[in-house]
Amino acid sequence: MSIDGLSRRNFLAGLGGLSAAAILGGCATSASTGTGQAGGAVTLQSNLSAPLPKAAMESVVAAFNKKGAAQATLNTVASETFRTQLPSYLTSGNPPDLYTWYAGSVGRSYAKKGLLLDLSDVWSGLTDYSAATKTLSSDDSGKQIIVPITYYWWGMFYRKSNFAKWGVQPPTSWDEFLKVCEALRAKGIEPIGMGAGGTTPWVASAWFDYLDIRINGATYHRELLAGQHRFDDPQVKAVFAKWKEVLPHFDKSATAIPFQDATTSLLQGRTGMMLIGTFFADAAPKDALDDIDFFQFPIIDPKVPIAEEGPTDGFFASAKTPRGPEVKEFLKFLATPEAQELFIKNSAGTVLPVNPKAKDSGTPLVAKGRKMLADAADITQFFNRDSSDALQPTADAALLQFFAQPDQVDSILATWQAAAEKVWQS
Amino acid sequence: MVALTAPPVERPAEPRRRNKPSRRLSPLLLAFVLVPLAVEAFWVFWPAIQGVYLSFTNWDGISPPTNVGLGNYTEMATDPVFGKALLDTVIWLVLFGGVSAVGGLAMAIFLQRERRGVGIYRAALFTPVVFSLVATSLIWQAMYQPDGLINNVLGGLGLESWQRSWLSESGTALYAVIVPALWRQVGYVMVLYLAGLKGIDPVLYEAATVDGASKWQQFTKITLPQLKSVNSVVLSVIVIDSLRSFDVVWSLTKGGPFHSSELLSTYMYATAFQSLRLGYASALAVVIFLLAFGVIVTYLVRAFKESDS
Repeated sequence: MSIDGLSRRNFLAGLGGLSAAAILGGCATSASTGTGQAGGAVTLQSNLSAPLPKAAMESVVAAFNKKGAAQATLNTVASETFRTQLPSYLTSGNPPDLYTWYAGSVGRSYAKKGLLLDLSDVWSGLTDYSAATKTLSSDDSGKQIIVPITYYWWGMFYRKSNFAKWGVQPPTSWDEFLKVCEALRAKGIEPIGMGAGGTTPWVASAWFDYLDIRINGATYHRELLAGQHRFDDPQVKAVFAKWKEVLPHFDKSATAIPFQDATTSLLQGRTGMMLIGTFFADAAPKDALDDIDFFQFPIIDPKVPIAEEGPTDGFFASAKTPRGPEVKEFLKFLATPEAQELFIKNSAGTVLPVNPKAKDSGTPLVAKGRKMLADAADITQFFNRDSSDALQPTADAALLQFFAQPDQVDSILATWQAAAEKVWQS
Repeated sequence: MVALTAPPVERPAEPRRRNKPSRRLSPLLLAFVLVPLAVEAFWVFWPAIQGVYLSFTNWDGISPPTNVGLGNYTEMATDPVFGKALLDTVIWLVLFGGVSAVGGLAMAIFLQRERRGVGIYRAALFTPVVFSLVATSLIWQAMYQPDGLINNVLGGLGLESWQRSWLSESGTALYAVIVPALWRQVGYVMVLYLAGLKGIDPVLYEAATVDGASKWQQFTKITLPQLKSVNSVVLSVIVIDSLRSFDVVWSLTKGGPFHSSELLSTYMYATAFQSLRLGYASALAVVIFLLAFGVIVTYLVRAFKESDS
């Protein structure tokens, strides 16, 4: 083999190729931000990259464009890329106009920096939306910054046919829940699947959220995430003490596989149940969906008002958009029952419309989920949505370490607190 | 014997150089130097200097940076994750660097002689270099899964007790990530050494054989000293490659679980783009730069000293 094969010419050609790629890359980022002049289509940057929600979003944009009031173009980005690039999008000289994002605390830091368009006049027309939704969509100064269109629920999902085969009933209290776990374990089934491995370590936070709102309540939970309590408080230690009771019943791959694989395990009956949001259905085969049911996360302390996780998804806009009227026109359309029903019809159908006048997909599963959220005394969003995306990695590290070293809770929580303080202070 | 004492000849005056280069540089030449310099300055030096400046600030990527002096550097001293990342980077440097250098050299010596089919082996070892590391990681990720190839093979051999969730256990994650990186790097280092071995004059070995030197003596007294210049290239490549090792770790474990496979490079990325603490991340980048620069400069200075003496 000749080493001389790497001639100077080849080398230069390679360099040329590299720099061409670099220049093209530069063009690509600058081109995606649009022309920056008023008029023209509203650019919508979407993180709904799973096939079903992406198709649903496409259908909504097409319906809006057909009405002719204004035009919109959809640009779908992988959600991990979207999340890391969002600050760059918003601060660039020429940002996209509209973005998919989440209601709750996670958008407010951008509003505080003046990056988001004030949507109060859109909201003045949304008379059907509930007051709670309005509060959730407001920034610290009371302006509305986001228009939510769908929400969903988390629950302990299982296959009805499998529970019947194993002879267990969905539990309601913590003690019953432990008994179900033991019964499944005795049958050689891994009782609880999770899927906090690979690219989805955040799934473990659902357990932390639910145990905390069941034991300490939603108010304490939100204050904790806002930095008003400490992660090494006795209240938080109580959460982990409770968690330890079920820890042996978790699937041994709980922290090794992503939630998509954990879903497969659940559907194939290798695991018994799984605490997950309804988005898992996007990847599930249609025939399995009819066999899916869920139960509410078991009640631990009946004195604590019942709260549920009900994450709400919507859209916010860049403060720098030169197409304010068109953006608001599009947001008004997104808030209509027509747009939300269209979105639900073209997706897996497990999300709920925020507009109370819009119909959901009407399946018994969705009706049950909707009722659970409607009956709840309080709604939390999710760990990162109730705090910030920057705090999420600190939770991932702490919770995965808890799974590996459950006896080290005190030092894990001290480390978590130290890491969280850095995020709160920055 | 007659001493031939030639009268000291007046040395003729330095002949006038006929083609005295004109003082004026040709514009083309100037352009060849200045245009790449400008590009380099704009795309490399300027961001690098900005990075150093940012390392003295607190910046979230949105609001204007605020000056914190050496605050980011003092924070490192008490940051346990930084300590872990530094230790892991050293382990990485030693294992990844050591094994790829020794393995690459061994393979090069083994595959140096022209034999039938040797090209196939060389190509096989070099092939991983051609793959993108992210693609490589995807393949290895599948093999490392709890019910992936590696655990299946272990199960088939009756070694169930050896089965692990390789990437999600803190004890194995770092080493499980080093293996794919090595799988790729050994081929690369082998090619560098093959080039070096080709440059050694065969006459040296012939002379040594005539003098009765053993194979081991030939290796230590001829091969290794002759490879000195290649060694410095290999060392630079290995140090730089280990300190910038990022893609393989990020795509396999993202530095987790709970920072157990965290390298300085992944910690820097996570700090910058997940925690949005760009000032502290810039300080980490400066540390990485100093480490790489320090190791390489020390080595080069020593190498030059040795060649001078």
